[in-house]
Amino acid sequence: MGEHIVTSFDEDIAAVRAKISQMGGLAEEMLSGALSSLQSRNTDLAQSIIELDKRMDALELEVEEMATHLIVQRQPLAQDLRLVISTLKLASTLERVGDLSKSTARRGMQLASTPPAGVTNSIVRMGRQALDQLTAVLDAWGRSDVEGAIAVWRRDVDVDEAYNSLFREVVTYMMEDPRTISVGSQLLFIAKNLERIGDHATNVAEMIHYVETGQPLVEDRPKGEPAGHEIG
Amino acid sequence: MDQITIREPVVQTQPVKATARGVDVYYADNHAIKNVDIDILDKTVTAFIGPSGCGKSTFLRCLNRMNDTIDICRVTGDILLDGEDIYHRSVDPALLRARVGMVFQKPNPFPKSVYDNVAYGPRIHGLAANKAELDNIVEASLRGASLWEEAKDRLDQPGTGLSGGQQQRLCIARAIATAPEVLLMDEPCSALDPIATARIEELIDELRQNFAIVIVTHSMQQAARVSQKTAFFHLGDMVEYGETTAMFTNPEDKRTQDYITGRFG
Repeated sequence: MGEHIVTSFDEDIAAVRAKISQMGGLAEEMLSGALSSLQSRNTDLAQSIIELDKRMDALELEVEEMATHLIVQRQPLAQDLRLVISTLKLASTLERVGDLSKSTARRGMQLASTPPAGVTNSIVRMGRQALDQLTAVLDAWGRSDVEGAIAVWRRDVDVDEAYNSLFREVVTYMMEDPRTISVGSQLLFIAKNLERIGDHATNVAEMIHYVETGQPLVEDRPKGEPAGHEIG
Repeated sequence: MDQITIREPVVQTQPVKATARGVDVYYADNHAIKNVDIDILDKTVTAFIGPSGCGKSTFLRCLNRMNDTIDICRVTGDILLDGEDIYHRSVDPALLRARVGMVFQKPNPFPKSVYDNVAYGPRIHGLAANKAELDNIVEASLRGASLWEEAKDRLDQPGTGLSGGQQQRLCIARAIATAPEVLLMDEPCSALDPIATARIEELIDELRQNFAIVIVTHSMQQAARVSQKTAFFHLGDMVEYGETTAMFTNPEDKRTQDYITGRFG
């Protein structure tokens, strides 16, 4: 894209893009910290992650203000319009990732006072897959890289499958020994949080595609069959 | 939720009213319009956008042969109204302009009464058999232009005494008094304040029920608000023509994108 005749328009666009990248960096930090605190049973670290969510909420508000300002002042069209619309959606998507990371950290704090469960390592591993997806899609955002975004979008099936096998594993534990139900339920919620973060990474990929090409990313995405639906 | 309905974008299905094929316009040696093909749809607002000097007004003026009045201007190619060549020797330009009305950038009422401004066209074209019929045409035209309530008590006062927005609506009433089929508008709101502009835009939307409307505008927002189809002109070429919403969210041509996003150097 060439530059706008009005230089400050370019500056506004660059600023809101940078703010999204900043939110993305914070989301990565929160998820990464939540996973570490879960693995190392470190409640101080978990508490610090929970605190970070306030910063995330403030950033979301800033993006909303910047986007509103852009609409009022520039009346963006075409790619500029798609970008501004997408920054609003991206801000709320990344804020959700922050919430899910916070929830993971909080549940990790509760698990820290219970006997360690071996399956926690598998859940952390799956969380790192989701983190890799988040990192890759935020890189794609920074580079306006449609191919990179599509690659992330296609890889979400791996996180889904990891989630499904974890789900079955934890349910099996709980059936074998009802005393594990309390811990098992916490672990299931954490696994679901992480699976949702993977989904949000694909949402970001879809927005990159829309901003850059003007077309929605609509072809059928490979998806793992959602676990849990066979029960009941 | 058994069934998911996917909404297709609304696609214009109105019949074609005017057609241009291979139209070139020259002002002496200056090639102002280059090989333009377009189908203007009936009961549809078509916006012409593009930078100053791109040829959009020149092309608009071809559609009712307003360019005939410029000696050095030469038009080639075919322009058809309902399938008939409007540049054919047998076509009387005055009659053509009664069928293809025009509203200009600055309101230009005749220095006559409000009534006579509107009655002028019907009189010279003999559209009314008597005074009662003419009264009816004047009232219907002023109502059509959303001016009746404001003007009915001052029909005998000069049209030039109205406010700018009222004068522009008077010009629209004058244009629609001859029951045209196409209405050409060359930046009709550029001399008006936002309130008067909104009234004209509301009016354009109502008039669309009856006419094909072609509007030249420098305001992207106005084109987006009032039109269903948009054509982008650049250096005499018609670069892109399509659904307005698609044009403003995802234009196909880079020149269109650069223009509407303010990136032209």
